[in-house]
Amino acid sequence: MDSVIKPGAWVVLQLPSGINRVIQVSPNTTISLGKYGSFPANLILERPYNLTFEILDRKEGEKFSRLRVVPTAELYAEIFADEASPECAAPTPNAGVATPAEPASAESTGQATAGKDVTETELKLLDENARQTLTQDEIEELKKNVTNAGKSVIDKLMSSHTAIDQKTSFSLAKYKLLKTKKYIRRFKVLPVDVPNFLEWQLSERDPSKILDIRAEMLGLVGCWANVHYGGDAVYLEDPGARCDAGGEAYAPLKPELFKGRWLVVDDTCGALTAAMAERMGLLYPEEEEDEDEEGEEDRDDQEKEETDQSAQQNTEPPAKTSKPPRGPRPSDFAIPYSQTNTITVVHAASQPNLSFLKYWGFDITAPNHPPHPLLNHLLNLTWLQLVQPERDLAYSLPPLTTSAETLMSWKPSRRGNFHRKRRRSARIRHIVDATRAGNFSGLVCASTMDPVSILKYTLPLLAGGATVAIYSPSIEPLAELADCFSVPRRTAWTSGSVPETAGKTAEELERWPGTPDFPLNPTLLLGTSLQTSRARRSQVLPGRTHPLMTERGGAEGYVFTAFRAKPAEGHVEAMGKWKKKKTEGSNSSVAAAAAAQDAAPVGADKDIPVEDATDPLPADEEMTDAPAPLAE
Amino acid sequence: MAPTTRSLAQRGSPFLDPGPVTKANSLALLHLSRDNLEPVYLAQTAGEHDGYAEGVVVNTRYGSYPHSSMIGIPWGTQIRASKVDTGSRGRKRKRPNGDDAGPSSDGTPADTPAETETPEPPQNPAKQPVATTSGFIHILPPTPELWTLSLPHRTQVVYTPDYSYILHRIRARPGTVLIEAGAGSGSFSHASVRAVYNGYPDRDGKHKGKVFSYEFHEDRYRKMKKEIQDHGLEGLVQLTHRDVYNGGFLVDGESPKASSIFLDLPSPWEALPHLSRQRPQSDKAENGSETTEEDEKPWVSPLDPKKNAYLCTFSPCIEQVTRTVSALRRLGWVDIDMLEIAHRKLHTVRDRVGLNLPYDRSVNVSAKDVDEALGRLTEIEDRLRENSRPRAGADAMDDDDDIEADDNNITAPASTAEASSARPWKDGRLVTRGEPEIKSHTSYLVFAILPREWTGEQEAAALAKYPVGETGHIVGALDKAARKKERREHLESLKNQGSRKARRNEGFERLAKISETAV
Ligand SMILES: C[S@@+](CC[C@H](N)C(=O)[O-])C[C@H]1O[C@@H](n2cnc3c(N)ncnc32)[C@H](O)[C@@H]1O
Repeated sequence: MDSVIKPGAWVVLQLPSGINRVIQVSPNTTISLGKYGSFPANLILERPYNLTFEILDRKEGEKFSRLRVVPTAELYAEIFADEASPECAAPTPNAGVATPAEPASAESTGQATAGKDVTETELKLLDENARQTLTQDEIEELKKNVTNAGKSVIDKLMSSHTAIDQKTSFSLAKYKLLKTKKYIRRFKVLPVDVPNFLEWQLSERDPSKILDIRAEMLGLVGCWANVHYGGDAVYLEDPGARCDAGGEAYAPLKPELFKGRWLVVDDTCGALTAAMAERMGLLYPEEEEDEDEEGEEDRDDQEKEETDQSAQQNTEPPAKTSKPPRGPRPSDFAIPYSQTNTITVVHAASQPNLSFLKYWGFDITAPNHPPHPLLNHLLNLTWLQLVQPERDLAYSLPPLTTSAETLMSWKPSRRGNFHRKRRRSARIRHIVDATRAGNFSGLVCASTMDPVSILKYTLPLLAGGATVAIYSPSIEPLAELADCFSVPRRTAWTSGSVPETAGKTAEELERWPGTPDFPLNPTLLLGTSLQTSRARRSQVLPGRTHPLMTERGGAEGYVFTAFRAKPAEGHVEAMGKWKKKKTEGSNSSVAAAAAAQDAAPVGADKDIPVEDATDPLPADEEMTDAPAPLAE
Repeated sequence: MAPTTRSLAQRGSPFLDPGPVTKANSLALLHLSRDNLEPVYLAQTAGEHDGYAEGVVVNTRYGSYPHSSMIGIPWGTQIRASKVDTGSRGRKRKRPNGDDAGPSSDGTPADTPAETETPEPPQNPAKQPVATTSGFIHILPPTPELWTLSLPHRTQVVYTPDYSYILHRIRARPGTVLIEAGAGSGSFSHASVRAVYNGYPDRDGKHKGKVFSYEFHEDRYRKMKKEIQDHGLEGLVQLTHRDVYNGGFLVDGESPKASSIFLDLPSPWEALPHLSRQRPQSDKAENGSETTEEDEKPWVSPLDPKKNAYLCTFSPCIEQVTRTVSALRRLGWVDIDMLEIAHRKLHTVRDRVGLNLPYDRSVNVSAKDVDEALGRLTEIEDRLRENSRPRAGADAMDDDDDIEADDNNITAPASTAEASSARPWKDGRLVTRGEPEIKSHTSYLVFAILPREWTGEQEAAALAKYPVGETGHIVGALDKAARKKERREHLESLKNQGSRKARRNEGFERLAKISETAV
């Protein structure tokens, strides 16, 4: 991630009103902030993010406004004054009286919901109380000759307010703040990284597009799924297939190279994928300092024409003919995907919807894509390709072949087409086979599809100990999922009371097709857990610190987490014997369930009294023993 | 291939790359039951150890597990308890039910469920062989989340709901250099090293993520140091024994060049002045006379001069927050944001209510709906009528008592009970509940950003590179009319382009342009 604003970058413009806009900064354009004014984009290029700029008055003879970086001492001047005033130094009960919704000051951030704290009624109240002597026309006139970045208007408004003496210092501060929001010509430029993007999408765009997924949820999902840098890129050797070689010449899979691969179901238009890519070091092109090494990894030959330029538009990525470290020119069957540190997206439509990745310069639909780390680390396939590849044409059709002479006789455009199709065949073959080979490090979902159905097909693909983290805007689908792994289900399964499991091998049970009673094999996940989390914001101002009055509502958001287990073979008998003994009693299955629960730690939930009585959880002991941080 | 894997295995951390199977001399987590994990360093021993013929053995209440049975197996494997030969060793654990099975052949008899409701004595010889085969656990690769739940607590620690959010907000990503103080029990250290990891240093010239951690408590420092070694994190986590209030964050006089900072200290404001871009004002003012010679030395910032610094402080009390925020403002930090994380765990249960359900302590024996209530009431009324007919005019009080008794005696027909108990996992309504106790407050999180320095020289250079002159087309907030016009034009152009291919090409051209200008 760059720390300065680069040409072509998407940025968040934060306006005094607390509104955020996302724009792409192109050189030699003008950026308009509506009523706050406009300025040349060149004035923010190569400047650091997170500074506060002020739009200056136009200089004589200049057709544009210049900018000024506002020093923080100036930004905080009023707060510092407040801190110095005795009222705040020693807050009296009275001092708190006039502190309803104090908007979170000018410093409110891309994260904070600036200004949201002032409710409509409060605004009205203020307006009613305000006995502004300036007429609207006068104000308009003032604004036209605006000087000093709007500060003069504000000062004038303040001094023309007849009720100003009657205001408490707090409501005065609020009045000033409201007017400041309206007239001050300041703005901030924030980078469009995942946290800022999320905030903008949630609060100002369409939260439903990203399934209302908040930063808290993304954080939990990313951590519980253990998503992290999965190792340096490793590529398969180019099989060097000639144009007459068919499917037998495809590069063979090498599952032993697999490392750090995550399976993803993303119905958030790519927000989830972006967050994962960020955690895996795949979202941002490497920074300028490292530019020289960049070529090694960001090789791009997706759909690249190699034989001729004529058939092709002149839009090759500049300068770089970056290739994998082997072979001067990859053959059609060369696999451009790393075997490590990858994201494999399974999608329900024929194309994945990852449109939000455009904010980070990635467009999965673009041919001849300029270099981007995701090119070699993002794989995608349809559910049909995953589950029944033989029914997918692109997968099942053999690659085109032709003799070298025929190829040479073709027009360049036809040759290009031929190569492109062969490359596509080889890549689809590789993606589908590699995905079906399984051994994924984790599964991450934020999907509108039923999670039970997702797990039915993906559980067999997870390596032992792999992580599962599934986000849902509402709890019901996750509750149903968790219920598939309930203690009674696991008990019934392990004690042999599920007739369909009889005679099945471990391998067959891993690929359990599901029955109405047992949609999933309940022994394939371990430590299933449901959670939710929410950030509660406060404003911190001298003598006026309190939680915000309103927060975003809507979907709460929940996360299901678990680890992939590899059930032992043969333990079923032991439990069965036990059960038989107990079935003589009247409450057979209940007793068996209770008994097996304790014997089978898989099912040993905290809320079973027997457990708690015999062995208090060590975690709790340690908690109480630990010194409170205050004591330090 | 083989030699590479071996060398990786030697230096790699099981947290970052556990490999497909468990390894000797490496950390693994035994999953005993939900949230009940036990960390073990798998030891390959030849011969007897500590009285066990099997070598090192982990004893849990789910049985005994020799390490040798847990090495070289796939992660996530369910491991069955072993019969271990304890020789003359007695049982270490005292059992509440006074089990004195002694040096039994399997070491697990006491692990049979000590169900208070089960009257059979656990010594019942018939049960013994059953119990020996019933114990099992799972073995999981270490992750920061599991480590946080199982680590030896030396201090209060930062848990997953907090650190997951913090790391997201302070932009701890692969390649980031992160400062953390104090290290405490290392919970946050483990989570943060995973976030910043992008390979071990010195592998190639590439810039590598790293955690600089500080701890002034001698004992905690030593324990943490050992942990870093044991977990293969050397070179990725650099721990310094230091009081950061006075000593700051430089390591051997050199700047870590950090861009993410996490302070879990009682008085973060005392550490903040060290995290400046230039020698902080107060530094000069307050210690003016003492530090004259210090003043002559050039001041080195621990921050990366080319990056914005993202900070989070973690304080349980609001007074700490107030002081921290005030200090941050004076030190030029912006985008100050304060919040706390409210986290809840939920579990699902089958709410079983009904008169006809088989008895079980989780069943609420009352009418599941109005119809069932009506059914029962009718039944009672019918009996009442039957009873009252032959004994007309008898003592009313007695009748009432009888009815009460009857009320309790009405039970479901056996067949119904049998039918529903056959599938206990499907009985009742699926509901979610919170935990009996919620951690309602951990700490307040204060976030802030310190932008990189921007000098007049840099400004002049940027201006020279991107001079202002003719202004091109307008981006950003247009007024309504202009926006409408633009949209109309856009739609038109789409219509004209028609084909999807054209649109794709447009997207691609745009990208190409960006990349061109970006290079
Ligand atoms: C609450 S603990 C940190 C816990 C840690 N974040 C974790 O997740 O395990 C605070 C630690 O800071 C250390 N500490 C306090 N003041 C310090 C100082 N001035 N310099 C260095 N360490 C300090 C304490 O010894 C203690 O271990």
